[in-house]
Amino acid sequence: MPSSQNSIKLISGNSHPKLAEQVSKKLGIELAKVGAFQYTNKETAVAVGESVRDEDVYILQTGCGETSINDFLMELLITINTCKIASARRITAVIPNFPYARQDKKDKSRAPITAKLIANLLQTAGCNHVITMDLHASQIQGFFRVPVDNLYAEPSVLRYIKENYSLNDLIIVSPDAGGAKRVASIADKFDVNFALIHKERQKANEVSRMVLVGDVADKVCLLIDDMADTCGTLCKAADVLLDNGAKKVVAIITHGIFSSNAIEKLNNSKLDKIVCTNSMPLEDKLARCPRLETIDISATLAEAIRRLHNGESVSYLFNNAPE
Amino acid sequence: MRKCKVFVGSSHPELGKLVCDRLGVEPAPCTLKKFSNGETSVQIGVSIRDEDVYIIQSGSPQINDHIMELLILISACRGGSASKITAVIPQFPYSKQSKMKKHRGAITARMLANLLVMAGADHVVSMDLHASQMQGFFTKPVDNLFGAPTLARWIRHNISDWENAVVVSKNPGGTKRVTALADSLKINFAMIHTDRRRTQDQYSKKKALKQSVNEDDEDDNIVSEIQTARIVQGHVVDDDYPAKEQAVKQDASHLERQAILDSDVLGGSYDAGNSDDEDEPTSLSQEKLITLVGDVKNKVAIILDDMIDKPSSFIAAAEHLRLNCGAKAVYVVGTHGVFSDLCLESLTESSCIDKIVVTNTYPIGKERIEKYADKLTVIDVSPIFAECIRRDHFGESISVLFDSLAAIE
Repeated sequence: MPSSQNSIKLISGNSHPKLAEQVSKKLGIELAKVGAFQYTNKETAVAVGESVRDEDVYILQTGCGETSINDFLMELLITINTCKIASARRITAVIPNFPYARQDKKDKSRAPITAKLIANLLQTAGCNHVITMDLHASQIQGFFRVPVDNLYAEPSVLRYIKENYSLNDLIIVSPDAGGAKRVASIADKFDVNFALIHKERQKANEVSRMVLVGDVADKVCLLIDDMADTCGTLCKAADVLLDNGAKKVVAIITHGIFSSNAIEKLNNSKLDKIVCTNSMPLEDKLARCPRLETIDISATLAEAIRRLHNGESVSYLFNNAPE
Repeated sequence: MRKCKVFVGSSHPELGKLVCDRLGVEPAPCTLKKFSNGETSVQIGVSIRDEDVYIIQSGSPQINDHIMELLILISACRGGSASKITAVIPQFPYSKQSKMKKHRGAITARMLANLLVMAGADHVVSMDLHASQMQGFFTKPVDNLFGAPTLARWIRHNISDWENAVVVSKNPGGTKRVTALADSLKINFAMIHTDRRRTQDQYSKKKALKQSVNEDDEDDNIVSEIQTARIVQGHVVDDDYPAKEQAVKQDASHLERQAILDSDVLGGSYDAGNSDDEDEPTSLSQEKLITLVGDVKNKVAIILDDMIDKPSSFIAAAEHLRLNCGAKAVYVVGTHGVFSDLCLESLTESSCIDKIVVTNTYPIGKERIEKYADKLTVIDVSPIFAECIRRDHFGESISVLFDSLAAIE
């Protein structure tokens, strides 16, 4: 049996069809004819319209949607399970933004570790491999018994910075202590300084007081984080930086969730620009917020899929962003 | 009850409250909400260490949210060192997707069973599973309770002439369920079969057969009655209705979805009409033949099914029973009143249906119950679940709950 004769089947979930289309274009293949829809009783059902027997199946579904995140998750699980029953050789879930990634620890008594639950759900459904990007905590990789490729948006971000900003008056800022490592690594690559904002949290999604560590006077500040949800932190951080004499503040984030009234907050904030990757669908938000820009990461995903399919090393992508 | 906690999910708080009241316990405190990004959040407000935990969560219109909530609750209880976790799922969601249809279908019900067990459920309690084979999907014990005793009691108390009533199955797949109820009430049953109309000739042949049957066997019990009629667009029509298929105006989105389902790339129609129990017509414009086997003349007909989900087949069956077969009254009885979309509206509007009777396993909004109160009756089944939880907690047999309501009266 020749093992190399199977081909890539890329299936697009309903969460982010545009990204799937871009990835399929980069790969030079057609999207597989698979459709997920809802019955009138709101149960999700999946119809697989072509054979996936002995094929290498990739299902792209990102975690997004304030009202439909669980719907998309069930859709992903059912699609995985359908492909498994239909004798696919290997099923890889491509989840640019891993849902429930922030519920990754038992921070209170009897708190659920939902990220672990999601990992188990994916495996129970029949997933053989996971591709994701900028996991909130890399430890989530350890929740899986199957291989997880955690890609980085960093190379794409680095290129964006290089193309758009002069390095002379640049400083990289982390909006919280947890992101210091990510920021230090970027600052290292450009050989520029970095600063850190320490925030005192009293409740989730609420920030009370911020302390800046580092000198940002007369500099262009790049606030870098892995995700922006309600954007309270980002907006406050921008205020703190400008109060300390920064020239302008630009936020660069991987996953732009922008839930509830985040867009209004951004529009009213002093941020010069907000840049995020297209790991989540942002069409309506781009229209509502003129300062929002995106970095395309479909090439990274496409290259990861190609390399995984051909059995090549993926580590190249940790430091390089394909065009 | 010592060392026992009952959690009530947000899918059907009314049922959970009734079960807790019946058990004489308070629902265990827990906070169920959503983060602003839509993720479900669960906080358990009481120690569950080494306790017997019951989680009541049914199907609902926000089905996937409530499944995730249930899975997270189970997982949180597992993480909180509960000794035993029982998922009480009165209406098991996705139970219609319990087999592969055509090719490459998902067996979502089995996957859901696996997900529940993986999340940490030790025991599952449900009622009237769409297919009892689904119990085999679980690697843990499953108790499948029956709604039939409750429905039978309602029929005995509320239908005046119930001794002469006939229980009708609206499709061959449901006959077993119908005979079981007919047996326990000791009354007759009948069956309806719907098939795709192929030629006018075949219809005439059946018509002729029907007439010959009627002439020959006046008092024969074996082939008592066969009644055939035509359905067009989900409604029974006269024999002289034009046979030409009518173009039905459908909105674009519907057509598009229909195209996906019917297209050849998906291997023909996705949900072919020949499956035994999912008998919803894929396209209402298609003409079909409806056949009743059995006698309902001047009798009360009780159409029984496990789930009342989509209205068209019930309406067609009711019209056939009432207009062509001479039924005195038509009751639509089911365990799970899912009533998706405008199902309840269509059923209550149909003049051929006298009453709709369901249990409260599936949440139906209070306003809706009140609005349609003249036709809709909702029977409370919480005592069965409460007794099941009590017996399970104390390690008593629950098989007495299967046949009669004696244990809870």
